[in-house]
Amino acid sequence: MADFDAIANNLIAGQAPKVKALVEQAVQEGTHVGDILQQGLIKGMSVIGQRFKNNECYVPEVLIAARAMKAGMEIIRPLLAEAHVEPVGTVVIGTVKGDLHDIGKNLVAMMLEGAGFQVVDLGVDVSPQQFIDAAKQHGAQIIGMSALLTTTMTSMKTTIEAIKASGLEGQVRTIIGGAPVTQAYAEEVGADGYARDAASAADKAKELLAA
Amino acid sequence: MIDRERWVRTMHFQRVDHVPDEEFGYWTDTLTAWHQQGLPAHVLNDPQADRYFGFARREHVPLHLGLIPSFEYRVLEETDQHRVVIDNAGVTCLIKKDGTSSIPKYLKFPIQTRDDWAWFKERLNSHDPRRHPANWDELKAQWATRDYPLGVSVGSLFGWLRDWMGFEHITVTCIDDPDWVHEMMEHLTEFILTIIDQAVREVDLDFASFWEDMCFNMGPMISPAMFKEFMVPRYKRITDFLRAHGVDVIYVDCDGNINELVELWLEGGVNCMFPLEIQSGSDPIPMREQYGNQVLLMGGVDKTKLIEGKAAIRREIDRIAPLVAAGGYIPHVDHRCPPDVTFENYRYYLKTKREAFGIPEPVREER
Repeated sequence: MADFDAIANNLIAGQAPKVKALVEQAVQEGTHVGDILQQGLIKGMSVIGQRFKNNECYVPEVLIAARAMKAGMEIIRPLLAEAHVEPVGTVVIGTVKGDLHDIGKNLVAMMLEGAGFQVVDLGVDVSPQQFIDAAKQHGAQIIGMSALLTTTMTSMKTTIEAIKASGLEGQVRTIIGGAPVTQAYAEEVGADGYARDAASAADKAKELLAA
Repeated sequence: MIDRERWVRTMHFQRVDHVPDEEFGYWTDTLTAWHQQGLPAHVLNDPQADRYFGFARREHVPLHLGLIPSFEYRVLEETDQHRVVIDNAGVTCLIKKDGTSSIPKYLKFPIQTRDDWAWFKERLNSHDPRRHPANWDELKAQWATRDYPLGVSVGSLFGWLRDWMGFEHITVTCIDDPDWVHEMMEHLTEFILTIIDQAVREVDLDFASFWEDMCFNMGPMISPAMFKEFMVPRYKRITDFLRAHGVDVIYVDCDGNINELVELWLEGGVNCMFPLEIQSGSDPIPMREQYGNQVLLMGGVDKTKLIEGKAAIRREIDRIAPLVAAGGYIPHVDHRCPPDVTFENYRYYLKTKREAFGIPEPVREER
């Protein structure tokens, strides 16, 4: 019987080798990989996300937990498709045109993966058309945009307008975030969601999917 | 009242004729944008802008706390929009070619292993004579009769390591290999103490300044517990040395949300917070309410209000006015002024600030 709590707890503690070993053991025992993912890995990352949101843990703990998640995912990823385990959803993410900063965006990507999303990371300095093309190609339900600067966050508006003009409106929801971005700005530019931190971005993505 | 006296008295909650007239600076593309809006074309950088706007003078002793030798700046590849370069700190990064401001995308850092650190730290030799100005006695004589505040940079414990190792690596190393973090920070502490020794002993300094930039909009990059373990005792050694020689205003330059670290900086003897980014939640008003006169403050004028317009600027000046009156606070924009602030709004901000706080319109002169 797989010890899901042990997987989650070791993930929370950032113990990548232990998570890997426990996941391998669970797979060998014939545990359904969807259960390993949901009840072990995602459960652990959701605890980390909540703690991060509440400033009960910090970036180092998030990073080692994400590393442990990755170690577990490397074992089960090849098995997910054959077990018909689909990701919660697909998010195309990137730092907007004109901005090369990627620390915040990378943290959001980790949190989204930790919440069970497939993440298509387009990197930095991403044009509106690149967001649109990737969303179409991967059938994404959500586009996530990051910006560090007041000057570059205006690219979020341009991108949202381009998405609406592209025919994706109604099929794809948008989430924005970054140091200068606020809920008011998200409303002003017509984003579907705003997230003030990486863990909230994952929560917002789930909320938008459920809506 | 001369600039030096005004600055020192402000930072000791003593009566002044008016608060020091200081600003942080500008993005490069801010000045470029303002050239189209009326800023004279000869104003091309922060020192020139300081003179043009007539801000009070404040300087640092010219000690060299950087890498000696620095890395050779090299372009590795170039596309229509980007360059991949190795910068002077040995970091491989992607930068934009159009000159607009952005933090680079970092691709590779010089310190990845303990072996890297072993050869890298040879560039951090505190005894290299190039770290001190050759005309030291001449400068000392000039400083003895100065009319402006003079301080010393006391470097960085975390910020430098983040620059050399990368954000993810240094933060994870705090958990994976804490002994190595201690070793590196210890080297930096000794490096700083050695380089500043002569200046602190021989010059009557008014302040010292750390640079860390170790917070983002949600809080610190490492936990307060890690900060306390790795950094506070080392800050204490540096600040104890400074205070023993009369330097009792010690500020830290840290962007982002610093709220969880203020108490620990104070514990480490760092008593002034700068630049207090409002949108990140670092607000000088609640900070003073929480820590009283233990904490000195610089910055704290919300840059987004300068973007918003004149009414917002007036409200922002009104907001901080009681704190200015209370002392121990030098108000200015909460980071470098971005290019989406118009030249007109910036001039309106300066005029409003100067009128509100009794700062006379400066005599603009080259110096």
